[in-house]
Amino acid sequence: MFWIAEGLIYRRQDSVFHTIDPRIKLLISMMLFFLSLVSSTIVEFSIILVLIFFIGALSKTLKRMVRTFVFSLSFLAMIFVINILVGYDIMFSIIISLRFISVVSSTSIFFLTSSPDELELVMKSFYLPYDLIFAFVTAVRFVPVIMLDAIQILDSQRSRGLEIEKGNFIKRIKNYIPVLIPLIVQAIIRSEELAEAMESRAYGFSKKKTSYYSLHLRKRDYFAATVAICFMIVFIYAIYFLHI
Amino acid sequence: MIEVKQLYFKYPTMKDYVLKNINIKIELGQIVAIMGSNGSGKTTLIKHFNGLLKPNEGYVKVFGKDTQDESVAALSRKVGLVFQNPDHQIFSDTVWNEVTFALKNFGFEEEVIKKRVKWALEFFNLIQYKDTSPLLLSGGEKKRLCLASILAWDPDYIVLDEPTVGQDFLQKEKLREVIKMLITRNKTVIIVSHDIEFIWLLQPRIILLSNGEVVKDDVCANVFKDDASIDKCGVIKPQFVELFDHLAPLLPHPPLDVLEARSTFLKLMKKGG
Ligand SMILES: Nc1ncnc2c1ncn2[C@@H]1O[C@H](COP(=O)(O)OP(=O)(O)OP(=O)(O)O)[C@@H](O)[C@H]1O
Ligand SMILES: [Mg+2]
Repeated sequence: MFWIAEGLIYRRQDSVFHTIDPRIKLLISMMLFFLSLVSSTIVEFSIILVLIFFIGALSKTLKRMVRTFVFSLSFLAMIFVINILVGYDIMFSIIISLRFISVVSSTSIFFLTSSPDELELVMKSFYLPYDLIFAFVTAVRFVPVIMLDAIQILDSQRSRGLEIEKGNFIKRIKNYIPVLIPLIVQAIIRSEELAEAMESRAYGFSKKKTSYYSLHLRKRDYFAATVAICFMIVFIYAIYFLHI
Repeated sequence: MIEVKQLYFKYPTMKDYVLKNINIKIELGQIVAIMGSNGSGKTTLIKHFNGLLKPNEGYVKVFGKDTQDESVAALSRKVGLVFQNPDHQIFSDTVWNEVTFALKNFGFEEEVIKKRVKWALEFFNLIQYKDTSPLLLSGGEKKRLCLASILAWDPDYIVLDEPTVGQDFLQKEKLREVIKMLITRNKTVIIVSHDIEFIWLLQPRIILLSNGEVVKDDVCANVFKDDASIDKCGVIKPQFVELFDHLAPLLPHPPLDVLEARSTFLKLMKKGG
């Protein structure tokens, strides 16, 4: 059940795409995100999606990307149905659905291929306050941990006869209480422990922090960035001036 | 009876099998210890006993029924699993309600629930906390509460994952008493543990796991004669057993506990003059 979130979690992997500078990965991700927002025809979305899946294949994350995809299908169905019910025509509903898919999967490109460490470095390179960076990165870093907790909690409660999928709508929501409470309690305990552990290792002692890794753009990064920007320019040119 | 036949299992996210060709039968009225190094697949194996995990190949049958065809709830009624971390199950507002949770799920009558919960809490010396929040209990008490919440519905198999972690000596003694009491009532207790002193005193049947395979499945005494197997599974003997092993030609069979070791030594010293 929780494997769906797999599609947003970083896993260490060897691929050309993983070795690109995280700032460029973010650029590519954001560019595809932006293009998904401005696109409005099936052809345009097809190009974007093909590109996203190409990057997925290149970075060996296609399988997990497809899982996010399958997961978002239920939302998609909902968006689609609501659109139709509200009275939009089918074409428009399809476009909205496609936009949803490309927005979700373009975002997941960055998170699937960049480690929390890289995320931290990227945020640092934007000169954000360190406490903010730390909070954000820690949150991201703890997603897999909390998922593991959730699996174990669900196992415990199922072993005590809890049947999540049983009952009517209200009952089903109630079924989640025995899972959610331990999950929240665990998260609070964990955050307190983390705070104490950080403080005992002198977090916040000096204003100026040094870091072990630093970011340097290499040839392949410039290359990737150039390709990405050229693509974006051509794409937008094609949309607005050639009207294809 | 729990019957595991040619069980192979792998997690969907992993490439390799975590359990390989497991064949075991566990009858009622036994104490069984499952031992092996970290990551050898002990927890994964016991999750098959109540259907939380289903085999990729082979089968697990509980009282003749294939776990593939049964719900976890139905199986849990017969096989009670107590997990290692109590914080993964405690959610109720009071200690009392924590124990009633499972009984309500299983559809017990109100009267029966009251009786069972009272019994379980008294048995584990928790009745004085019945109206307090379970989150306020100490670590050891929380663990006992989890045990109480499973024993309350009286399953035939009680499976304990690392029950002695964080327990003081007295509580371990008590736990051993509980286990022995359960055996007299023809229950089976399956214990996953690294606590060799604790296991030794129970003299159970031991199943040694290494890398997802059963290396040895025999009574305690025989398992500890097989140095190669216990080495392979990262298990060490209790120290006094080790001592007796080193003095093997001089001394008889290894003792059950330190007291027995002492009396053997005393006899020997008297004989020697
Ligand atoms: N939910 C999961 N998803 C993927 N792999 C898992 C999962 N749970 C366990 N594993 C892997 O399966 C293997 C066996 O794990 P298991 O928890 O059964 O070991 P164990 O014998 O109980 O170890 P320990 O003594 O540390 O409790 C380990 O390599 C572990 O990393
Ligand atoms: Mg374990």
